[in-house]
Amino acid sequence: MTPSTDRRPLTEISVTPPSFRHDPNHRLRPINWNRIQDEKDLEVWNRLTSNFWLPEKVPLSNDLPAWQRLSEEERTLTMRVFTGLTMLDTVQATVGEISQIQDARTEHEEAVYTNIAFMQSVHARSYSSVFSTLASTPQIEESYRWAVANDLLQERAKKVLVHYYGDDPLRRKVASTLLSSLLLYAGFYLPLHFSVHATMTNTADMIRLILRDKAVHGYYSGYKFQRGLDSCTGDRREEIQAFTTGLLDDLYDLELQYSGELYEPLGLMDDVAVFVRYNANKALMNLGYPARFGAEETTVNPEILAALAPGSDENHDFFSGSGSSYVMGKAVETDDDDWDF
Amino acid sequence: MTLSPETTDVGREGIGTRKDYHALNARLNLFDDQGRIQFDQDQEAIHAFLEQQIGPRLKTFDSVLERLDWLVANDYYEAEFLDLYERDALEEIHHRAHQFGHTFGSFLGAFKFFTSYALKSFDGTEYLEEFPDRVAATALYLAQGERKFAAHLVDEMMSGRYQPATPTFLNAGKKQRGELISCFLLRVEDSMESIGRSINSALQLSKRGGGVALMLTNLREAGAPIKKIENQASGVVPVMKILEDSFSYANQLGARQGAGAVYLHAHHPDILRFLDTKRENADEKVRIKTLSLGVVVPDITFRLAKEDREMHLFSPYDVEREYGTPMSDLSITEHYDDLVRNSRIRKTTIRARDFFTTIAELQFESGYPYVLFDDTVNREHPHPGRVGMSNLCSEILQVSTPSTMDPDLTYSSVGRDVSCNLGSLNIAAAMASPDFGRTVETAVRALTSVSDQCDVGAVPSVERGNRASHAIGLGQMNLHGYLASQRIRYGSPEALDFTDAYFRLVTYHAIRASHRLAVERRETFEGFEDSDYANGARFDRYVQSSGRPATERVRALFADAGLHLPTREDWIVLRSRVMRDGMYNAYLQAIPPTSSISYINHSTASLHPVASRIEIRKEGKLGRVYFPAPHMTQDNLEYFEDAYEIGYRKIIDTYAAATPHVDQGLSLTLFFTDEATTRDINRAQIYAWRSGIKTLYYIRLRQAALNGTEVQDCVSCSL
Repeated sequence: MTPSTDRRPLTEISVTPPSFRHDPNHRLRPINWNRIQDEKDLEVWNRLTSNFWLPEKVPLSNDLPAWQRLSEEERTLTMRVFTGLTMLDTVQATVGEISQIQDARTEHEEAVYTNIAFMQSVHARSYSSVFSTLASTPQIEESYRWAVANDLLQERAKKVLVHYYGDDPLRRKVASTLLSSLLLYAGFYLPLHFSVHATMTNTADMIRLILRDKAVHGYYSGYKFQRGLDSCTGDRREEIQAFTTGLLDDLYDLELQYSGELYEPLGLMDDVAVFVRYNANKALMNLGYPARFGAEETTVNPEILAALAPGSDENHDFFSGSGSSYVMGKAVETDDDDWDF
Repeated sequence: MTLSPETTDVGREGIGTRKDYHALNARLNLFDDQGRIQFDQDQEAIHAFLEQQIGPRLKTFDSVLERLDWLVANDYYEAEFLDLYERDALEEIHHRAHQFGHTFGSFLGAFKFFTSYALKSFDGTEYLEEFPDRVAATALYLAQGERKFAAHLVDEMMSGRYQPATPTFLNAGKKQRGELISCFLLRVEDSMESIGRSINSALQLSKRGGGVALMLTNLREAGAPIKKIENQASGVVPVMKILEDSFSYANQLGARQGAGAVYLHAHHPDILRFLDTKRENADEKVRIKTLSLGVVVPDITFRLAKEDREMHLFSPYDVEREYGTPMSDLSITEHYDDLVRNSRIRKTTIRARDFFTTIAELQFESGYPYVLFDDTVNREHPHPGRVGMSNLCSEILQVSTPSTMDPDLTYSSVGRDVSCNLGSLNIAAAMASPDFGRTVETAVRALTSVSDQCDVGAVPSVERGNRASHAIGLGQMNLHGYLASQRIRYGSPEALDFTDAYFRLVTYHAIRASHRLAVERRETFEGFEDSDYANGARFDRYVQSSGRPATERVRALFADAGLHLPTREDWIVLRSRVMRDGMYNAYLQAIPPTSSISYINHSTASLHPVASRIEIRKEGKLGRVYFPAPHMTQDNLEYFEDAYEIGYRKIIDTYAAATPHVDQGLSLTLFFTDEATTRDINRAQIYAWRSGIKTLYYIRLRQAALNGTEVQDCVSCSL
C-alpha cells in the first residue's frame, strides 16, 4: 500500500477514470460530490434527478380512442415522427452524450452526462411504449423499416455522428447541442399540436416530460461549450463559429427536407419550418451565438409557443391523466419542533 | 404562415387544421410588447370561437315550442318533464333565460360549455343548445312542473348565483344521459361476496357517469388467514387493480371518464403496500395509475409521531373477530391501547414519523393520497354512527352501514351507502343577490329535487341511503375572485372574517330551507330524532355568539350589500322550529373543488386561491387552454397572488374559518413549489390537523423552469 504522503491537491496528482486511455500510469480518483468545482453541475444534477420519470407512469392507453379517430395518414405521420425521434434519442443515448464524458471539465460533469445519457435511453424507450400501446406489430415493423430506408433520416443522424467520433471536443458539443435543440424539436411539433387540440393528450403529457428534460440537456451542453470556449484563442473561436454556422445550415436544410416529407401532406409544413428556425436560434443562443434568423421568420404560432414553456405549471385534470408536473420529492425528516402541539 | 380558414363542412377535421381561437387564447400566456397581459385577445378568442365554430353549426328554430317538439320527437329531450308544464310556461321559461343576454367571461368558459355540456346532434355535426337553453332545460327538469320554482331557478342560474354541478347541468332533461348525481361512496366488507358486489356496483355507477369511492379498510390484510389457514389472503392491492381496470372499462363504454377512489385506514397492515402502488418505479403488477387514493388518519397517529414512537397496524380480520364490528366502525384512537395489548390481534409496527414522510414522498411523486382526519370528522359530524371514508373529491362525509350478501350476490341485508349531488353558489354573485335567502333556498330545493328524482336501483344500498337521508351538498366558489374584487387579500384577517360570516349566513338559510321542506312534505330524514339537530347541539355555536363580524370592513361589506346577518335571536327561533318539525335533508353542505363549472360560471375555483393569474388548463377533452383569473384587470393584479405564493397557512386558515359551518367536508388542495421537502408537506398536514381541517385533497406541485430555459415573454414563466 502506498502511503499518501503527497499533500498537493488531489486534482493535480490524480485523474478521473476517463483519462485512463490517455495515460494508464496516472493515479485515479473517485468522484467527490463534496468538492464542487462548478455549481452548475450540482444544480443541473439536482434538477435532472428530481425530474426522473419512466414512461410506465403515463396512462397511454387512455389515448386509444383518440388514436382510433385519426386517419390512416395521420397515424402514419405520428408513427414516423416518433420513429425519427427514437433514432435521434438512440444516437444521443449510445454515442452523443457518452462521447461528451471524455471532454468533461469537471468530474461532476462526467456524472451529469451519464445521467443525461440514461434519460435519453428512457426517452427512446418511451416512444416504444406509445407504439406498443397504440399500434400493431406489423405497423411498428413497417415504421422501423421506413426509418432504416429513409436517406434523409439517416443523413441527419450521420452528419452529427461524424463529429461525435471526431477529435475536436468543441465540435462534439456543437453537434450535440444542435441535435437536441434543433433536430429534435421538429419532431415535437406534432405532439405539441396534439396537446393544443385535445387529441392524444396522454402522449402529449409524456412528450412534455421529455421536453422538460431536453430543455435542461440542451442548455447544459451549451453552457459547457461556452466554458470550453472561454480558454480559446481568437482564431480558434472564429474557426468554431464558422463550423457552427456551417453545420447549422446543413442540418437546417436537411431538417426542412426531412420534415417536409412528413408534414407537407397535412399542410403543417409552413408552421413547422418557422418552428425549426425558432429552435435553430434557440440552439445558437444556448451556444452563446447571435440568432441566425430574423424575428419575422421565427414567429411561432402562439398556441405552440405557449405550450413549449418547459415549466411544469399545467393545472391538469387528475381524472384524465397523470399530468406532467410531479417530481421526485426531497425526503427530509420531521423533528420534534414540527410536532410541537 | 396563414391560418387555415374555418371550414363550414361539419365532418371530422384533420389534425392539420389550426384554429384562430386557439391562437388568440394562447396570447393570454404571452405578454404584449409592453409587458402587459393581453386580456383583449381572450375576448377576441370568444368571438372567433362563437362566430366560426358555433354560429354556423347552431340549429335554429322558428319558435321555442317548435324547437322543444322537435327535440322530443327526435329523442334528444325527455317528454315527461316538459309535459308537467303548460305550453306557455315552457315558452316563458325559455324567454326568461334568453332575456338575460348571457355572455361568456372567458374563452375557456365558452369552449368548455360547447365542448362538454351543450346538446349536440347524434352525428356530432350540429349544436342544439346555447347556454340559456341548457339553463331552461335544467330549471324545468328540476322544478317538476312548478312554474314559479322554475322561474326562480332560471334567475339564479342565469345571474350566475347558482350553478349545479356537472352531472346535473350536463344531463338534466336529455333523453340520452347519465345520472344527475355526482358522487357515490361504497363500503366493502371482508368477504368475497362483498368484494364481487362492489366491483359490479362500481361498473354500474361508472356506466351512469358518477365518481365512485370505495372503502377498503375492512378487507383482511395480505397474509391473513382464509378459513383459518394462515398466509392465504392477498390483501387490498389486487382488489385495487381489479377496480382500476373496472373503471377504465366503464370509461370505454363512452360515458364521461370513469373515475374511482379507494380509502384505507392508516393502521391497516397493508398501508405501505397501498401507498407504494403510486411509486414512480412501482412494478407494473402493483402500479396504480388512474385510481385515486385516500388515507384515513386518526389523532393517535399524530400523537405517536409527536412522541416519535412506533405505530401499530392491526389486522382487520382479527379486529372484527374480537370486537364483533368491522374495523372502520371502531375509533382506533379510542381503542388503541386495548388493541395493542390484545394478544389475539395480529399486529406489525412502523415508525409513525416514517409513515408521514412516506405519505409526503408519494404526494410529491403523484399528488396522492388524500388525507381524511378520522377523529376531527367524527367529532364534528352531527349524526350518530361513524364516517370511515370520503369520496373522489374528499368533500362528502356521511355515515354508512354495512350490507351483507348471499353467495349469489343478492343482499341478505341492505345497509346504507352514500350518494351526493352537488351545486355551488358563486360568492360574488350571491353577495349581490336581491334576496339571499331565496337564492340559498332555491339552491337547496334544486339539489333536493335531484335527490328525489334519482334512480340508483342497480345499487340497493345507495338507493336506501339516499331515500333515508335526502343528502345534498351545497358548495361555494369564487371566494378569491370576490375578495380580490373588493381589494381584500386572500388569507388576511378581513378575508377570514368574511369567510366565517358568509358561511354562517349560508348555513342559516340552508337549515331554514331544509326545515321548510320538512314542514311542507311532513317528512324528515331518517334518524332525525337521534341527530344533533334534534337535540339542538348543532346550534350551540350560533346561539352562543353574537354573529357580528369582527372587522368593520366586513360589517360594511354585508351592510352595503343589504344583507341581514342572522342574530343570536334568529338562530334561537330557527333552533326551536327545527327541534319541533325536523329537517328534510340529513346533510346540506359540502364544498367541492369546482373545476369545470367554475370556468363556465367565470369564478375562481371553490375557496382556493387561483393556481396562477393565467391558468394553464389541461384536460382530455379540451387540450391546453389558458384561463385568466375571473375579476382580474390590469389594475388589481396585486390581489391575485397565486396559491403557490400565498402558501399553505393562509389557505388552511381560510378553510378553517369555513369548516365549522359545513356539516360535510371541503376539498382542500395544497400547493407547493419543488423547493419544498417532505418535511414542509408534513408541517402543512400537522397545521391542517391542528386547525380542525377535516380532509386534504391533492398536493399540487409547481416547478419553475431552470434559469436560462424559459420561453421569452411567457406569462406563466414570470412568477
